[in-house]
Amino acid sequence: MALRELSSLEKFLGLKKPNKYSTQGDKKVPVLQSNNGAPLVGLVTIACHLVKEAKRLELLGDSAESRAVVQQWLEHRVTKLDGCTKEEMKTILKDLNLYLQDKVYLAGNQLTIADTFMYYGIHPLIVDLAIQEKEQYVNVTRWFDHIQHYPGIRHHLPPVAVLRNRIYTGRHH
Amino acid sequence: MTKEEVQGATEEGQQGPSKKGLKKQQKEAEKAAKKAEKQAKLAAEHQSTEEDDFAKDRYGVPAMVQSQQKLDRALVRVQDLTPDKADQLIWLRARVHTSRAKGKQCFLVLRQQQFNVQALVAVGDRASKQMVKFAANITKESIVDVEASVRKVEQKIESCSQQDVELHIERIFVVSQAEPRLPLQLEDAVRPDGEGEEEGRATVNQDTKLDNRVIDLRTTTSQAIFRLQSGVCQLFRDTLTKKGFVEIQTPKIISAASEGGANVFTVSYFKTSAYLAQSPQLYKQMCICADFDKVFCVGPVFRAEDSNTHRHLTEFVGLDIEMAFSYHYHEVIESITDTMVQIFKGLRDNFQTEIQTVNKQFPSEPFKFLEPTLRLEYTEGVAMLREAGVEMGDEDDLSTPNEKLLGRLVKEKYDTDFYVLDKYPLAVRPFYTMPDPNDLKYSNSYDMFMRGEEILSGAQRIHDAQLLTERATHHQIDLEKIKSYIDSFRYGAPPHGGGGIGLERVCMLYLGLHNVRQTSMFPRDPKRLTP
Repeated sequence: MALRELSSLEKFLGLKKPNKYSTQGDKKVPVLQSNNGAPLVGLVTIACHLVKEAKRLELLGDSAESRAVVQQWLEHRVTKLDGCTKEEMKTILKDLNLYLQDKVYLAGNQLTIADTFMYYGIHPLIVDLAIQEKEQYVNVTRWFDHIQHYPGIRHHLPPVAVLRNRIYTGRHH
Repeated sequence: MTKEEVQGATEEGQQGPSKKGLKKQQKEAEKAAKKAEKQAKLAAEHQSTEEDDFAKDRYGVPAMVQSQQKLDRALVRVQDLTPDKADQLIWLRARVHTSRAKGKQCFLVLRQQQFNVQALVAVGDRASKQMVKFAANITKESIVDVEASVRKVEQKIESCSQQDVELHIERIFVVSQAEPRLPLQLEDAVRPDGEGEEEGRATVNQDTKLDNRVIDLRTTTSQAIFRLQSGVCQLFRDTLTKKGFVEIQTPKIISAASEGGANVFTVSYFKTSAYLAQSPQLYKQMCICADFDKVFCVGPVFRAEDSNTHRHLTEFVGLDIEMAFSYHYHEVIESITDTMVQIFKGLRDNFQTEIQTVNKQFPSEPFKFLEPTLRLEYTEGVAMLREAGVEMGDEDDLSTPNEKLLGRLVKEKYDTDFYVLDKYPLAVRPFYTMPDPNDLKYSNSYDMFMRGEEILSGAQRIHDAQLLTERATHHQIDLEKIKSYIDSFRYGAPPHGGGGIGLERVCMLYLGLHNVRQTSMFPRDPKRLTP
């Protein structure tokens, strides 16, 4: 899963040469063997490295504050989102919905890898949501639909159908 | 022990009983005094009762009505108590909904079906203290005959249906007394669920209501629901009669299961067994072959399905239609949808009071429909579902959640709660359904939906004995069992089609209720056989 995300990221960044990754441990943490010495371990670390390699530093955030926010969301993705339970999922979606109430992107005013990796991570949760639940977490759904249509992001994931209009408007159901 | 102590002990011993005795005597004296006081009080009251009851013959419990006399007395209906009757002296018979004493007055609310009015007994020159006390003690739900003068009120009485008047009681008699402990309180039975939770007040759950149906049916909500249901039946009959349909009665004890053997009740029939009809299907068609051209029937339908859902009953009332058509089965669809639209219009125009009463306890959106009725093809429905992310095959039947979802998508796109889905896949329809002439995967059959739930299943029927035999064989049905059915098509049968709706389900969905037992007077389901 993580390896596919990294190769999708490479395609998005337009990196010509795809890297070879290996994994370690039973959590299958990706490892990138670099030419000059120490291997890079961890999804977030490798992702940041790739971005720097492609010289697309704006994807890490365009101000000190947004850079910090990007790192925060990447951290959140790997620690809280991956392998969460059903109960935790509800809280995560609720919090994300509240956070996205007045924001188009997770950090700053443009796409960053925080959006990319949160999208990859939250995809399996969104796939399982019923239409009514998607309407309940309306901001998450809006952001999700925006990111999944962003050119070059989606790659390895199937699109999730999102209806343009609300169908559960009544007081009941 | 010394001599003094011994002496002391003896002395004490002697005084002991008298000390205890003293205490005992004191207690007894107090008791006696209390008793005497009570008796004196009672005597005083009794005396006053005897003395002051000048209104003795203006209240009480008369002899049971055994048709002893023909009284030439006009009883006024509560709903007719309006300001134009002000200052008139009238008689009425109603139930005591509540009675509350406040000092020298007693406030009663008298109820008749959906209407209620405030009434008042006050100590004065017409009513005595004893009469007020009597009125306050009448048990709830008792039936009373009341003579009262109608008075206009300055401030509207919000809690009653008759808000502009109140009754000043001159005479009050109990015609039928209710037992003091009611199995459920009517106010609780009418309370909306949410309000009950918020204010910590009781609501009555459905099983209790159904177990004590006689009392539950007295509530304003139940009265409204069943008046509306009566309206549906009447509109159904009137609309179809105007279209030239003939009402028929079909047998309910039949020799062979019509829709397929699994869900049918067996009854013992002398030395053999018979079945309770699952639908009047076969007989409707036989009437068409007998040249009745357009028929409908209203009668019970029995389905032995062990489904414990919000929308299944084992016995319900079926409103069935069957008609011969000229060239295309859409003539049948148009006839049926027009009938449904007339019913909806009739309910909307003539039963607003009932609809609003039900909405007080069960809020819902008003029912929306289009003219002409929206008709979608099955393939379109599947496409809409796929667009919303549902995965299903072209020839799959719609599951209940998908039906509901499609209902919502249709509501959002076309703004209607009522629509027809046409051209169902042949594989999921009964054996007597006419296949589509151009595409063997589909059939000339249709379902109609209200608020996303199915209310009618219908089709063009096969009117050719040979094709019918082929389809029955394909469905592995025992031809012996349906011999007389197939025979009815051997001597000239017109092309025909029809459909059937469930009365309870239509009422439930029109009103936006959530359980079909609310619209069935004495519901029958796998777990309920009484009352």
